[in-house]
Amino acid sequence: MTLREIWLRLTAWMRRDELSRELAEEVQAHIDLLARDFEQEGMSHAEAVAAARRQLGNVGVLREASRNYWGFPKVEAVLQDLRYAIRGLVRAPGFAATVIITLGLGIGANAAMFAVIDRLMFRPFPYMRDPGTVSAVYLQVTSGARRSAWATVPYTRFLDLQRETRSFSQYAAVSEWRLAVGVGQATRVRKVAGVSASFFQFFDAQPERGRFFGASEDVTPLGSLVAVLSHAFWQSEFGGRQMIGEQLQVGSLQYTIIGVAPEGFVGTVHGRVPEIFIPITTVPANIDRSNSNTYFKLYNWDWMEIIVRRKAGVSEATANTDLTSAYIRSRYAQRATNPRVLPDSVAKPRAIVGALRSAAGPDAGLESRVLLWVTGVAGIVLLIACANVANLMLTRMLRRRREIALRLALGVGRRRLVAQFLVEGVLLAGLGGIAALLVAQWGGAAIRTLLLPEGSAFNMATDWRTMGVAGACALVAVLLTVIGPAFLATRSNLSETLKSGAREGTYRSSRMRTSLLVMQGALSVVLLVGAVLFVRSLNKVLAIPLGYDASTVLDMFLDFRGLELDSAERVVVQRRLLATAQTIPGVEAAGRVNSGLFRTNTAALRVPGIDSVQRLGRFNFQITTPDYFRVMRTRILRGRGFTDADGTGAPRVVVVSEAMSRVLWPGKDPLGQCIQVSFDPSTRSESAPCSTVIGVAEDAAHQDITDEQRFTYYLAVDQVDPSWFSTILVRMKEGKIEEGMERVRRTMQAAMPGMGFVVVRPLQEVVDDRRRGWRLGATLFVAFGGLALVVAAVGLYGVIGYDVAQRMHELGVRIALGARSSAILRLVLSQGLAFAAAGVTIGLALALVASRWIEPLLYKQSPRDPVTYGGVAIAMAVVAILASAVPALRALRADPNRALRAE
Amino acid sequence: MSDSSTPAPILAGTLDLLILKTLSVGTLHGYAIAQHIKRLSRDVLRVEEGSLYPALQRMKVKGWIAAEWKTSPTGRKARYYKLTAAGRKQLGQEASDFERSVAAVARVLRSAES
Repeated sequence: MTLREIWLRLTAWMRRDELSRELAEEVQAHIDLLARDFEQEGMSHAEAVAAARRQLGNVGVLREASRNYWGFPKVEAVLQDLRYAIRGLVRAPGFAATVIITLGLGIGANAAMFAVIDRLMFRPFPYMRDPGTVSAVYLQVTSGARRSAWATVPYTRFLDLQRETRSFSQYAAVSEWRLAVGVGQATRVRKVAGVSASFFQFFDAQPERGRFFGASEDVTPLGSLVAVLSHAFWQSEFGGRQMIGEQLQVGSLQYTIIGVAPEGFVGTVHGRVPEIFIPITTVPANIDRSNSNTYFKLYNWDWMEIIVRRKAGVSEATANTDLTSAYIRSRYAQRATNPRVLPDSVAKPRAIVGALRSAAGPDAGLESRVLLWVTGVAGIVLLIACANVANLMLTRMLRRRREIALRLALGVGRRRLVAQFLVEGVLLAGLGGIAALLVAQWGGAAIRTLLLPEGSAFNMATDWRTMGVAGACALVAVLLTVIGPAFLATRSNLSETLKSGAREGTYRSSRMRTSLLVMQGALSVVLLVGAVLFVRSLNKVLAIPLGYDASTVLDMFLDFRGLELDSAERVVVQRRLLATAQTIPGVEAAGRVNSGLFRTNTAALRVPGIDSVQRLGRFNFQITTPDYFRVMRTRILRGRGFTDADGTGAPRVVVVSEAMSRVLWPGKDPLGQCIQVSFDPSTRSESAPCSTVIGVAEDAAHQDITDEQRFTYYLAVDQVDPSWFSTILVRMKEGKIEEGMERVRRTMQAAMPGMGFVVVRPLQEVVDDRRRGWRLGATLFVAFGGLALVVAAVGLYGVIGYDVAQRMHELGVRIALGARSSAILRLVLSQGLAFAAAGVTIGLALALVASRWIEPLLYKQSPRDPVTYGGVAIAMAVVAILASAVPALRALRADPNRALRAE
Repeated sequence: MSDSSTPAPILAGTLDLLILKTLSVGTLHGYAIAQHIKRLSRDVLRVEEGSLYPALQRMKVKGWIAAEWKTSPTGRKARYYKLTAAGRKQLGQEASDFERSVAAVARVLRSAES
């Protein structure tokens, strides 16, 4: 169709009534002329007019044929179908609402999950040029039986790999930190990204203001103190005003602002979006002065990640080979400074390129694996929803079977009829899709708070990738739910259907519906089994005794921000701060420790009489002030804890965990034993002084909560170095921890010297974070499993209800013949139960098959737990009875009089 | 067969060509178009009114012809059709297509006879 024709058709369509009148006039003129000619040929006037009319034929047909050219008949047919479909849905609001809500939940669940995993795993970073060639570098070694992959490396490793490889056109170094930014009351903890100058060249991004930093500002040992702000930070903190050249305190150093990144630029962020970008070579001096002159020569500090871009034509395999040999050479260089580096024959080192997003990389944690599972689960929920909708559609088709047969008999084309059903299906899917977007936007908010880093913007309406997935899901839903029923409905035997009354001819042909119902049940059973397993696994994780009580403890990090003090001054400040903390109202006790919970603290450890302590496992230390055990409520099982008397001059003492005492001195009294601890890698542990065991503490989770080995030893702060350590743990008296927390923060902030900054958070949060992966699986599986169960129950209710409605006549006859209420009830309920039983059997079998893959995601929970399986089977039976109870009660009301009269 | 008095059906696809050709000689109303074709074909070709008017509508939206209400010499109001530039081009195209096709059919018929 040419543009001109479209225009002419459009104008004709707009004038179609006028055109119709004109045509009639034109035809009338034609008749008149024809009649005049006939008259001249000798007919009478009346004869002539009649003959002319006859020749012209049916004017209506002529007009219909012309109408094809006034407008767009195909479009109009679709519009007509649409109007027809809308009328049909308005007439069946219950059906329409059920379908739309079911599809909305099914599609919405998928859209919400996709939005999350897309952001965590797949979506390319904004502005990144040719993201397909950009990767992160991961290192892999084998130690013991475990092969682990990680991405954080020393800066020296970055230099080595960059120098030794040929496969990459670009290299960049990145490290993300949370630093105190600003001074005085305006100080806040901000996400700061230390990046190499080369980092910006991975992107097609032009600074919004000023400039990015260049290679000359990113040099070892200390780069230029310049900072680039994120667009959002610039807007929120500077109101978008001109501020290039101004000073900004970031961590312990003062930076000059030189530019603003464009809107939406986030670099290659892992979690929260960075607000400030600084040269990576200024990070060591900023956060850890002890490494600031060695970080580019030694390999003792893993703190940054490498990003590379493969040269054109270089495959990942080639790049990996190149990286691995460079890594092996780098380890060789490392061995010169640290002879303890494992030999390559044992470690089997490998360096590989992997996904930029760590959640999709080779070191992805429990959380990412759980997420992928849950995404699969969301897909199953959609399948169940589709089965449900297909069933409803089928039921509706069967109900309209006579009407359909009638229309077929009247000559409506099958294709036209199927097109009509398709339009109805698309309309429903479209409405379901809109409901899904609402579900994903608002209902999905819970999932996003749970999964996405705080501060992630989210707007479904502008998220084209998620919209696309929702659209694709809706399309699949249409294909699955409309085609089959429409085919079945139009294939039926016309005369049979027309002959039979409204009551017959509909109760048959339910095999497809039955199998759809059983499939729904089976899939729901699988999801429920998964949900119960995850919940039981979580409960087992929650039931693990921690060996401390985190409930009313505050974890307080004191950031001195580079304050220069000699060690005597530091001791004074540290003691003053601890004393301040202890006297805050509401504080029960406070202790200073070397690090927060769950940090790895290992030192060279030697125990007289044992060859290699390391061989027995990993021994974690904790350096504490005497009140520590009181703060944490870790019980001392034997001997004593520390006292103020265990000071600098006193004999060195140590408290060990029960597990550690058992593994080191099995069957012996641990009290009075000696261990030698050396913090300095250059001195040999044999020459370290003896620390005498004075107490045995209960086992506490200082590593992963699920870690079996709880080998911990506690040393007294004053006997190690009283000037160290900037974490204080505070036990609050019972009451609202939030109020106390703010009071503690304010008091401590006021007491901090210089620009010092205090970060306080409840220790319970720290503990909960460690259980997140477990909790996540349980929460999401329960949510989706519950959703699946509801959808399946609605489906069962719909089908049984429909069948009862169809069988009312038969039931009436049964009642008339003397069937008892209980028999009728049993008849209907047993039908529901039969469906449930089939679904449960198939579902449990599927769950058994799937159990192999889900096992690694569970904690001490057999995925083939008979109690779980039995429980789910019973639950399904109960749901089936409930879903068929309403139709069953309706069946009792079947009227025998009507049934008999109808015969 | 040219003198046979029984009307022959209009070959598929030639109705447009006939109308275009008829209008190329002047502006005519529907009845006159039908009469013109009948006369020129010596009563062999009869245009069905049921096809003529839809065809005129179709050709109008194709932009080949334009219509206008006028008063005929006999004082009647009638809709007159005339060829547009696009219609003239279409006529040339269809005429040459038709001639090529007829010539080809004729060749086939001749070879079958010999």
